[in-house]
Amino acid sequence: MATFNVHVTIENKPGISDPEGDTILNDLVLKGTHKTVSKIKTAKMLKFTIKEKDKKTAQSKIQEICDDLRIYNPMVSKVTVDVFEN
Amino acid sequence: MSLEEQELSELKSKIGRNPTSTELQIVAAEWSEHCSYKSSKRHLKMLPMDGPLVIKEKGYDSGVLDVGDGYVVTAHIESHNHPSAVEPYGGAATGVGGVIRDILSAGTRPIAIFDGLRFGNIEKDLQARWLFKNAVTGIADYGNCLGIPTIGGEVEFDECYENYALVDVAALGFGKKENLIKNHAKKDDIVVLMGGATGRDGIGGSQFASDSLESEDRSAVQIPDPFIEKLIIEAVLQARDDGLIHAMKDLGGGGLSCAISETADALDIGIEMDVDKVHTRESDMHPDEIMVSESQERMLVVTSKSKLKKLEEICKKFHIGCSVIGQVKFDHQMHVTKGKKTFANLPTDVVANATLLDLPSKEPTYLKTIETEKKFKPVSDYSKTLMKLLASPNIASKIWVYGQYDHEVGIRTVVKPGADAAVLRLDNGKYLSAKIDGNPKQCYINPREGAIGCFEEACRNVVCTGAKPIGMLDHLQFGNPKDPEIFWTFLESLKGLTDFAKSFGIPCVGGKVSLYNETPSGPIKPTPVIGVIGLIDKKPSVPQKISKGDCLLIIGDTKDEMGGSEFFEYIHKFVGGKCPKVNFDDSKKNMKSVLSLIKNNLVKSVHDCSKGGLAVAVSELTMTNQIGCKVSLDKVPGDKLDVDRILFSESHSRYLLAFEKKNLAQIESLLNKNKVSFKQIGQFGGSDIEFSNKTKSIIKLNVERTRKTWLHSLPNLVLHGKK
Repeated sequence: MATFNVHVTIENKPGISDPEGDTILNDLVLKGTHKTVSKIKTAKMLKFTIKEKDKKTAQSKIQEICDDLRIYNPMVSKVTVDVFEN
Repeated sequence: MSLEEQELSELKSKIGRNPTSTELQIVAAEWSEHCSYKSSKRHLKMLPMDGPLVIKEKGYDSGVLDVGDGYVVTAHIESHNHPSAVEPYGGAATGVGGVIRDILSAGTRPIAIFDGLRFGNIEKDLQARWLFKNAVTGIADYGNCLGIPTIGGEVEFDECYENYALVDVAALGFGKKENLIKNHAKKDDIVVLMGGATGRDGIGGSQFASDSLESEDRSAVQIPDPFIEKLIIEAVLQARDDGLIHAMKDLGGGGLSCAISETADALDIGIEMDVDKVHTRESDMHPDEIMVSESQERMLVVTSKSKLKKLEEICKKFHIGCSVIGQVKFDHQMHVTKGKKTFANLPTDVVANATLLDLPSKEPTYLKTIETEKKFKPVSDYSKTLMKLLASPNIASKIWVYGQYDHEVGIRTVVKPGADAAVLRLDNGKYLSAKIDGNPKQCYINPREGAIGCFEEACRNVVCTGAKPIGMLDHLQFGNPKDPEIFWTFLESLKGLTDFAKSFGIPCVGGKVSLYNETPSGPIKPTPVIGVIGLIDKKPSVPQKISKGDCLLIIGDTKDEMGGSEFFEYIHKFVGGKCPKVNFDDSKKNMKSVLSLIKNNLVKSVHDCSKGGLAVAVSELTMTNQIGCKVSLDKVPGDKLDVDRILFSESHSRYLLAFEKKNLAQIESLLNKNKVSFKQIGQFGGSDIEFSNKTKSIIKLNVERTRKTWLHSLPNLVLHGKK
């Protein structure tokens, strides 16, 4: 068994609006001198630490947990799961 | 999700050619049930919509009532059932946003929100719990961010909403009569789109709402942005004050397609618009997508070229988008272009007026046997039964819900949620009371009497605050109307509401029909939700603390009407029996009497008797006042009934009054004079809720202990999964 760090990124699907990101862009970043920025998207990240036999199992186990516990709504959110070996 | 075959051929024959793809999208959105009311419109006309206080103007999305001294109140109700069943947080929140903009489009400031929520059995069903929790949070977050108080509503759970949600939102607005937008358009006027950018969210939402939900096909998700909504409210109200708005419409279901065609049709004009001018969130949107996108927080405004500069300045000040998308024509055509290229060119009356259907109806077969009651084992311990009812999700205190809503912002709220109806202070010294009520359990057993019952209950609730009902909102929610049995229940409910409204002189000032509410296990029960608005000329009845020695009196007869009661459905798990019927004469007498008792300052607190019957209503009085009460069941007026029925029958037109003993004689003489059925049935004091029949004690519960259970069972269930 090895320990893995699994990062779950939850963000709105492409095409669905992201008021928080838009607000940070328009009312914070673009008000400064950072005119080269064109888009900001917000996301929520959960960092799991899990003991599993391999990378693949760690990833599928975390995906399963997120699905079962409704950590995100599949209708709205896009989820990316990244696994890092500890 | 498109036009049906005969609708397509009808469109072809009306315009004399094949429609373009954009035209098809526009017409499919506008002819959907959600926008066109094609199944129901023919019948909705039966409701009385005129009254001495009703102000009518073309193109209003909300009802307008004159409350005197140059002020008006606006009211509207909407639902967001399909989106909420898929994404409860966003669906419920954007539902609030939509109804707020309907209030705004008449030129009045939104001052209150109400929400009626219905879900599956949260005791067993985790999905229902998830929907409930998130819908409440969605409403709270949206309303609280806007600074509009959410002051009332109702929550109900029933297995018929399994895997589904009914989220009804009503809103009230207030303003000066002179500031109402008089929708009109002049030659050379221009059409402006204000607010958020148009994106791909919610594409096809109105058609989606007109199809039954299937698990795969849940594409319309809308993301709420209350801060833009708040900016729109302020920008629109300033533009209204500066006289910059000729006509206005909110963008809801059907997006630009509906807003443009309905505005043009209502004002008897044509509109030419260019999709390239619409400010979009993504650069590669197709004209079809722009026309049917249901992106939230947008308003359509008709203004003149000379006023545009000022309007643009206001939008700039409030940081909201503003683009001139087209101009007013007088050719009655809805002309959509992209640059110079035409994508749609249709007569507005064709788009805005779908052919109305005359659907067949047939009495459902289940109704033939539903009134037959089953015999139950006698209840051995009534104290336990009452405790179980008070802890049941439908009866337990909803403080967990309204505790999340800011119900005081705006400092108008005089009577807060938790009582019968909330009361708002108006600027002209009068008060406004409002409540929404529904009862699918009774409506299932008897669609007509059940609907009347909801209407009367909402009236009773506002009467308890001392208000006279002046208007009603109806929200009719049913399953698939193409099923003749379902359509029959729709018609019956509507006829019942019409009879009650006519008899009581309460005009219908607004409403909504939501059909195709189907869950994987079948149609929902008929769920009309009725909102009643009441006006108080002088002082509202703010419940006063009940103290030792005060009397408890009941007005109205208790009858053998257990059908759809919580006692049958929750305790005995039995659906059936006779549903309570409202006797119009008694109802009027009782309302009038309660209002004059309140006016003469004779009572401390008035509470209506509904869900859970007398036993629950008395318990609620004792728990909210933290004082005991001794009640003699043998004194309760009405039919000669067994203890079960006296305690738990949900007969209508009943009120509980708490008052000081010294007022008893005066109250009795007033009630006798009005020939009202009433009786003093108990006295407050001690620390127990006690019911006795003659000398036999039936129920004895400690108030404090009961109160704790009543208050905590719902949050415990939602948050920890146990009561």
